[in-house]
Formats: sequence, structure tokens, C-alpha cells
Amino acid sequence: MSTATSKAAAPRFALSGDVMQTLYRVLAVVLLCLMLTALSDVFLTANNILNVLRQTALLFLLASGLTLVILTAGLDLSIGANVALSGCLAASVMTLTGSPLLGVATGIACGTVIGLANGVLVTTLRIPSFIASYGMMWMLTGITYYYMAGETIHGFPPGFRQLGSGHLLSIPMPVYVMVLFLAIGALFAQRTIWGQQIYAIGANPVAARLSGVPVERRLVLVYTMSGAMAGLASLIILARINSAQGDIGEELTLPAIAAVLVGGASLFGGSGTVAGTLIGALLLTLVLNGMNLLQINSSWQPLATGIIILLAVWIDTRTRRVGE
Amino acid sequence: MKYLVVSLTAALTALWSGSAFAEGETIAVFTKNLTNPYFQAVRVGTETAAKTLGVKVIQYVPTKPDSIPEQLSQVEDVIVKKPDAIVFIPVDYKALVPAVEKINAAHIPVTNITDRSAAGDFVAFVGADDYSIGLAIGKRLLTAIGGKGNVIILEGVKGSLTSTNRVRGFTDALKDFPNVKMLASQPGNFQRLNALQVMENLIQSFPQIDGVLAANDPMAVGAIEALEAANRKALVIGINGSREAVDLIKSGKLLASGDFNGFIQGCIGTEIAVRNLRKQPTPKEVMLKPVVVDKTNFAPYETPVEQRTCPTLEQITSN
Repeated sequence: MSTATSKAAAPRFALSGDVMQTLYRVLAVVLLCLMLTALSDVFLTANNILNVLRQTALLFLLASGLTLVILTAGLDLSIGANVALSGCLAASVMTLTGSPLLGVATGIACGTVIGLANGVLVTTLRIPSFIASYGMMWMLTGITYYYMAGETIHGFPPGFRQLGSGHLLSIPMPVYVMVLFLAIGALFAQRTIWGQQIYAIGANPVAARLSGVPVERRLVLVYTMSGAMAGLASLIILARINSAQGDIGEELTLPAIAAVLVGGASLFGGSGTVAGTLIGALLLTLVLNGMNLLQINSSWQPLATGIIILLAVWIDTRTRRVGE
Repeated sequence: MKYLVVSLTAALTALWSGSAFAEGETIAVFTKNLTNPYFQAVRVGTETAAKTLGVKVIQYVPTKPDSIPEQLSQVEDVIVKKPDAIVFIPVDYKALVPAVEKINAAHIPVTNITDRSAAGDFVAFVGADDYSIGLAIGKRLLTAIGGKGNVIILEGVKGSLTSTNRVRGFTDALKDFPNVKMLASQPGNFQRLNALQVMENLIQSFPQIDGVLAANDPMAVGAIEALEAANRKALVIGINGSREAVDLIKSGKLLASGDFNGFIQGCIGTEIAVRNLRKQPTPKEVMLKPVVVDKTNFAPYETPVEQRTCPTLEQITSN
């Protein structure tokens, strides 16, 4: 708590603290990479690294918007359901009109509107974010299932597919999108007044309000941004799997929350960074990559996943204590 | 808003007239989820059969896919409403046994389809077994790659009966082909995005992949996309015989799909339930033969399920 309040009071010190924190997380990822390099001769190849980054991009995009929400001590449980509805609507608009541009616009607009609705529920109606977004999740899931009626939509225009499976200078397109939003997210959170206000709200909402931060408006902003990122993530999924089904986002919510928290953010708000979330997303993606490359038996994979995540966070907290 | 009110009124009227003026028996149908096209086909099958037989079906589907507690409470609700018969797919073949026992205790005749319940009294079981389909479609792929080369298996959800039996079919098919090497067998959880990522990872390890055996169609789609993006060529098979799979078979991207025929299971399950109510003889078990849908026989599968007609019990049991 003391670090959180110092953050609100003196952003410049908080920044270096956050950088240190991110570096500790990097250590856990580096250790995991060293282990995988020793065990698999294909792990440390340019192809596999690009492959891992491409897979990380999706989880990061989803988790980056969520990071802002968690910074305010809120939670958005509707992102997976948001991905499903935004993705399915985008897919059907694209199939009906044949226009990738309209599809992209639909996906992002749908995600944004859902995020805005979450923000209104949390601020105007004063429903706790966990409940508001949980209710939203059910409504979105219901609408998606009704709309899709168990069908799938598949086959999108090649131009749109580039967003997921295309390359530029032999680097996959999703990686560029990830880097772009990493830059935007980090700059927004660390270098703008709005970003600092978001940290302040998470650290102490009363103090933030008293010092003139428009708390409600900033909260609506973070939920809207989280929704918009879910809309964007749904487009990357469509472009990658070339199809849409009512359950496409289902198993993404928990990993996205995990990516943010493994990345160092606190559910109590006020601490965490977008860069940290990238490390979290990378770690979770590396676990799957490693298990596939080493061909760990499917019976052992869930257990292995759990152990690696706990180990990584433990190494991080240990080293940080030594550092202090 | 006006439209909403109008359609709500219309829906209510339909519900009212449905319950007040329907002729014939009422049958409650339980399926696992609203997302998998397979169960949609089952539901359409039950409704198509109901129309011909002059009965009314009510669908019960958990809003959270495959939710055990939700299906349990739906069963409890249905027992109170006392339909004439039940057509039942348990979301879990073991966990729903207590629910089946409650149905039995309430003396509502119940027909089990698709996934065989571990216990309970049933009028009949209608299904196609996962193992035979896995075996048949597995052999189709292994023959197509010329009986030699490297293959990958994409498993479904670990621990699910469906995945276990399909994968057992695949591995038994491999026994007939000693020159085929199984490079890896990894879980894709029946999900297309999962399968895509697993396949992308496996492509890193193996420079030569000749065939992919996916335990359902969505995972086959994930594998196809991963292979295409990496400029690799391999033959891929899936299971479900979904419309999406048929389109991919037509365009040559998917070699074949094992047909589980939810539509026919829905038809026959309903017919048996009705025959039992009308004191006509019924078989204790109907196992549908595994069908491999490929380039030579996909035509009938292009008809949307809504427009298909139900085969009769005689047609199914005679051949």
C-alpha cells in the first residue's frame, strides 16, 4: 500500500520502481527460456521466437486493456464474451458485405460499446465491477449464442487474413500490432495526466477525487478502452483461425487476467504496468510452446502449467526481496 | 422498441398456443450446449421427427456450455413439469447419473442418445461410438498418405470420454500401418484457437508432417490454418461432418470428416421415445454405422439440417 500511495504522490519515483519490477519479471521469463533452450533444440530458433511472439500478441492485446481496469482496482470479466460477440458480428458483417474494413469497424465498435456499457454500469449505476462485468458476460454470451444458433462462419477475404497470418519483413503482422499497442499503452499509462490519474484512482479513490481527478469519467474511459481492445483482439482471432463460432472467446478471460497479475499488477489497484503485462502474456504463451515442443503428455500439462506459473511468480518475489 | 414489444407479444402468443392447444405428447430434450453445431443438429432432428409424429418437444440446454449443475437443476425442473417422455444427452456421463435416477424415480420414460450414461434405466440408447468413428476416419487418412510418413494427433479435452475414445480409435488405426510414425499427440481441447497454436508449435519441431488426425472439426480447421500460414502441406481429417467441414472438403483443404450424425440421432431418439409411449416395440440399442464424409459422398451433407427428412427406425435398423 505504501508503494501505491507514493506512486500517486510522486509519479517520477513510481516509474523507476515499475521499471525495476518489470525487470524482475523478465528474469523469470529468461530462466524459463534458458531451460527450454537446454531441453529443446528448436526452441531458440528465429522461427519459433516469431511463432511465440505471434501467439503472445493475442493474449497481450486482450490483457493490455484489462491492465488499465485492474490499475483502478476494478475487473472486467466480460472480455472473453466481448471477443465472442464482437468477433461473430464482425465476421457476419464481413461475409455479408465482403468488406474487411466494415468488418474491422464493426468488431472494434462493438467491443467499444460493450466497454462503455460496463463503464456506465460501474459508475452511474454504482454496481461493483466484478458483478457488472459478470452480468455483462452472461448477457453477451446469451446474445452471441442466440445470434449464431450453433453455426460457424468461415472464409474471410485474403486482405483481412493478412492481419493474422500475414508477414512484413518476415515478422508476423500481429507482432507489429502488439508492439504498437505496447508503445501506446505504456506512454498513455506512464506519461499522460490521464494515465497518472488512473494510477491515483487505484491507489486511493477518495484522495484522487479530493485532489480533483474526475474519477467517474476516467473509470468509464478504462472500461471503454478494455472493451475496444477486446474488439481488436477478436479481429486478430478471426484473421488467424479464418472462422467464427459462438465460443471463440470463452477460454480467454482467465488467461488474460492471469497475464496481468503474473505481469506484476495488483488486484487492489494502483500498481502494475502495461509492459509487465506483456511479460505475463509472454510467460503464459511460453508455457504452452514449451509443453508442445517437449511433447509433454496431455495428462501432465495442466499440472505443469500450474507449477511453472507459481515458480515464476515465486522467483520474482524472492529476487525482489533480495533486491530490497 | 416497438418491434421488440411486437415480437415479444408474438413469442408469448406462440408459447401460449403451444402449451394450450398442442396435440399429442410432450417430450423434453436435453442437449449439452448452444455452441457446438452437432447439438444444434440433434435438436433439429428431434423437432423434425416431432412434426412427423405429431408430438411436441421442449429443448433444455445449459446456458453455460456443458455445465453439470445447470443440467442437474434443469432435470429437477422438468421432473416437476412431468413431460410424457425425455430424450437425454448427459453433459457428463457419470456426474448426471443421480439426475437419471431421479427421472427413473418419477417414472418418466427416458431415452439416452449420443453419450451413454454410466447407469440408470433407459428405454433405449441411440448413438454412434466414438471409437469406431476414430478408427474408420483414422484408416482413411493413413491410407491417403500412402501408408507411410509422419502424423500428429490433436486430442480433445483431456479426460472426456469423447476424446479418449476417438483418440483410441486413431491409435488403433495406426497399428495397421507400421510405416507411419506418430510424431506427437497433444491436446487442443476441441477448440480451434487452441488447436491452431498447438499446431504452430509442433510445426517448429517437425520439418515433415504428412497427416493430422484431429478429434473434431474445429480443431481440424485450426490445424489447416496453421499449416497454410507456414506454407506446409499435409492431409487433415476431423470428426463431426459439420457444414463447415463439408465446405472444406469441397475446396480440397480437408481430406475427410467422420460423421457422427446428430440429426439422425435426434430423429431416432425421438421416434423411439414416441413408439415407447404408444406401446409399439422398440429396440434396446441403435448404433449408427460410422460414415466417413469425403469428396466422393459429401453431396447429401450440403442440405442444411433444417431441410432434411428423418429416416425411420426401420430404415436405420434394417441396413
